[in-house]
Amino acid sequence: MPEVIEVIFEKYQRKPDQLIPILQNVQREFGYITPESVKHISRYLRISENQIFGVSSFYAQFRFTAPGRHSVKACLGTACHVRGGATLLEMLERELGISCGETTPDRRFDLERVACLGCCALSPVVQIDADIYSRMTVNKLSELLKQYE
Amino acid sequence: MTKEKTIQITIDNKTIDARPNQTILQAAREYQIYIPSLCAMEHLSSYGACRLCVVEVDGLRGFPTSCTTPVEEGMVIRTDTAEVKGLRQEVLKLLLSEHPASCLFCTEQDECKQYMGTIRKVGATTGCRYCPNDHRCELQQIAENIGLTETSYPVYYRNFPVEKYDPFYDRDYNLCILCGRCVRVCNNVRLNGTLSFKQRGRVTTIGPAFDRSHIDAGCEFCGACVTACPTGALSVKVSKWYGRPEGQVATTCNYCSAGCRLILQTTKTDVIDALPDYDSAVEHGIICVKGRFGITEYVHSPLRYGTPKEMTPAGYNDISWEEAIAKAAGKLSGLKPDDCLIVVSPQLLTEDLFVAQQFIRQVTGSEEVASSFIFDLDGDAASFINLALASEPFETIEKAQGILAVGFDSTYGYSPIGVKAKQAAQAGASLMSLNSFESNLDLLSKIAFVVNSSRWADVLDLTMSRMSKGKAEKRFADLVEMWGSDLNKTCETFSCSSHNVLIVGPGIIDSPDRGKILRSIERMKNEYSWKVVVAHQYTNLAGMFAMGACPGIKPGEMIKEASADKAVVLKAELIHIDLRKKRKLIYLIGDASFDSLPECEFLIYQNALPPQCSRQPDLILPVSLFTEASGTVISAEGRVLQVKEAVAPYMDSKPDWWILKSIAEKMGKGKMKFNDVSSIQGEIKKIIKGFPAVKKRIEFKEIEVKGNVKTHGKGKPAAWKSSYRGIPLGEVVSGIKVIELKGG
Ligand code: SF4
Ligand code: SF4
Ligand code: FES
Repeated sequence: MPEVIEVIFEKYQRKPDQLIPILQNVQREFGYITPESVKHISRYLRISENQIFGVSSFYAQFRFTAPGRHSVKACLGTACHVRGGATLLEMLERELGISCGETTPDRRFDLERVACLGCCALSPVVQIDADIYSRMTVNKLSELLKQYE
Repeated sequence: MTKEKTIQITIDNKTIDARPNQTILQAAREYQIYIPSLCAMEHLSSYGACRLCVVEVDGLRGFPTSCTTPVEEGMVIRTDTAEVKGLRQEVLKLLLSEHPASCLFCTEQDECKQYMGTIRKVGATTGCRYCPNDHRCELQQIAENIGLTETSYPVYYRNFPVEKYDPFYDRDYNLCILCGRCVRVCNNVRLNGTLSFKQRGRVTTIGPAFDRSHIDAGCEFCGACVTACPTGALSVKVSKWYGRPEGQVATTCNYCSAGCRLILQTTKTDVIDALPDYDSAVEHGIICVKGRFGITEYVHSPLRYGTPKEMTPAGYNDISWEEAIAKAAGKLSGLKPDDCLIVVSPQLLTEDLFVAQQFIRQVTGSEEVASSFIFDLDGDAASFINLALASEPFETIEKAQGILAVGFDSTYGYSPIGVKAKQAAQAGASLMSLNSFESNLDLLSKIAFVVNSSRWADVLDLTMSRMSKGKAEKRFADLVEMWGSDLNKTCETFSCSSHNVLIVGPGIIDSPDRGKILRSIERMKNEYSWKVVVAHQYTNLAGMFAMGACPGIKPGEMIKEASADKAVVLKAELIHIDLRKKRKLIYLIGDASFDSLPECEFLIYQNALPPQCSRQPDLILPVSLFTEASGTVISAEGRVLQVKEAVAPYMDSKPDWWILKSIAEKMGKGKMKFNDVSSIQGEIKKIIKGFPAVKKRIEFKEIEVKGNVKTHGKGKPAAWKSSYRGIPLGEVVSGIKVIELKGG
């Protein structure tokens, strides 16, 4: 991993304002922000690991656990929210035994909440990998999860 | 001083003069106009988080926050209109909707202030004490000032577990109002970077990365966050339930040579806390963990001696001072000068040191003023002393363009120096650190050499050779291979700069190769004009030499009056202290360096805490510590700093000078007729003009040693650990033990 990170660093100047682009690149490369990469970024940019974590955890786009084989996104935008998005999310958390931003121990699913997927007419929606499932109910969702291995 | 331009503004119909770079809040404060504020704090950048400081400004829309709005000529500001007041109340209510408010909104509040009653059945009237900060809480104060007595919102309890697993302070983020003071002080003032806001919105918390403990995240336990916190979220373990302190005393820390000012918080009998003073000219409030958290537990250790004790076949017996003084006098009289060895700690106050050297010279007739630093440094004592006594003031680091820190780390000590180096590095100076472990300067360093101390002299030599563009010698090959290109670049800046600073840390004292390293440092200083700043734990080393509390040096002899003053010549035999020869009597004055001592028939131990050794003292004379005594220390920078008695001496303990002069009196020897500290200071005034109120830094002459110094051959010094009066702080202060174990 250090070598891969070094290659990433070569593309960016050694300046604190490069933090976000570097983090994005690291996440593209490894799927998530690992503690080890935070350590390397810290040395490179001369900012403490804690500050880097603080900044990156502010943004929903960064994750700190390895992604699962399938990623589930529950929409909690206004439309989805009023039509039961929160119930869906709660059910997902219970069914999968994890909370948002985490991955199941068997790495089958990871779970996230999103603010709007842009298809409010179909609310409430859940996205699994690239597919959008509209007009979701707790029962339908439970069946749906079984299709993913 | 040029007169600064002023700006006229009007606050609440009062016209005042403000300075152009001030915020409304700062200007108002200067004129004692009260605007409530929680997130703003002196010495911290404005943040605008709490919204309590809102005001009305003519011509500006809405309600600007006064802590972030700069003053402008002719501004008309109102701080107390009904609208502003209502807004503040609403803001505070929202703020409290996530803060437990049992102490704020209570029907008993007024009585509580006076009587501190409680509904629990307890022996003392303590009040309810929901929170360690009760009765000394800024938030409480603000709620009172804003006049909020109830809230209309339900309180959402965030239910975070209280974090108690780190040493020194506890964290209950359920009480946190996210004002960000701790985060700003940690990152912007201490340049440490342990704390940051994590996540956002409702789930925001404060702490290090990945839920690490503070100790793992690089926290220096300087306690700046605890001091900054306006709530009870952060609280000091040992003092959290003491309530409001009854008094405070400004004094000087005695744990190292930096000489930081501490504001001791006291009750009638106890020192309960030690706070930084951001207005102090020495360290600007940048104190370290030892001063901040290492004092209460030390001075109130349950192991402290309260009465003199004498060894009997059945163990120790408490005796009176009269008996103890008579016993010591009896044992000391009739001894030939080299029958006894008297060891004086460099951590005594200047006044005590003055009396100690008089005692040795006048009572025992000896010149042998031994001290632990002579044992530690052995044959290199003179060159170290010359370096240490000529140490540049800390502010030299501020303007440095190149900095090299050798054997220096400021994680758990020497913060004023470390933070200055970090500041300079952030402002663009080239920082290079050289240590045997990863130091806290590494992150900001251009190069961080982590090599065994046997190679430090090589690295210094290589740096010099690169600075003068010399060819690299063979012995440097591996260093060049590892760090070559970075080193070239850094040395380039070193040789272009006219202001390079070498920071010498306590690490060199431990090194078996300290002689070689010291010689390289001397060369950098003399041939390459590096300015040298020395950090060491011999608190009052400068005082020792000023007072002549060292072999062969008379009181005042070392003090430099004119720059042309010649070096003091010392015969090598004088600084050779024979540690193998058996003595009839050893008298330890504030020292406990038992590992180095020769055998003896009778051992007098004048200290506050029991020594860590198997040889039990025959006579124990209990002393009062620096929190209980008055006097001065002379710091590494040559400043004469005041030490003030904060609480009365513990039980029957006495100051060092009193014990010494009493023994001398009993023996009918010497001229030590001192009744109090000021009478000693009167004597010292003859050596140092104006003492103790000396403004000028004291400068020292060099020592020149004639002849070869024999080493005393007692092996290398005990690995460096922070200690006070010979007792490692880690043995007495639980948290220091934890951080030292972790530091390995
Ligand atoms: S812990 Fe204290 S200082 Fe830090 S943000 Fe919370 S209330 Fe403010
Ligand atoms: S740096 Fe030295 S003087 Fe300052 S607080 Fe720490 S031990 Fe005390
Ligand atoms: S003091 Fe101004 S917003 Fe907090």
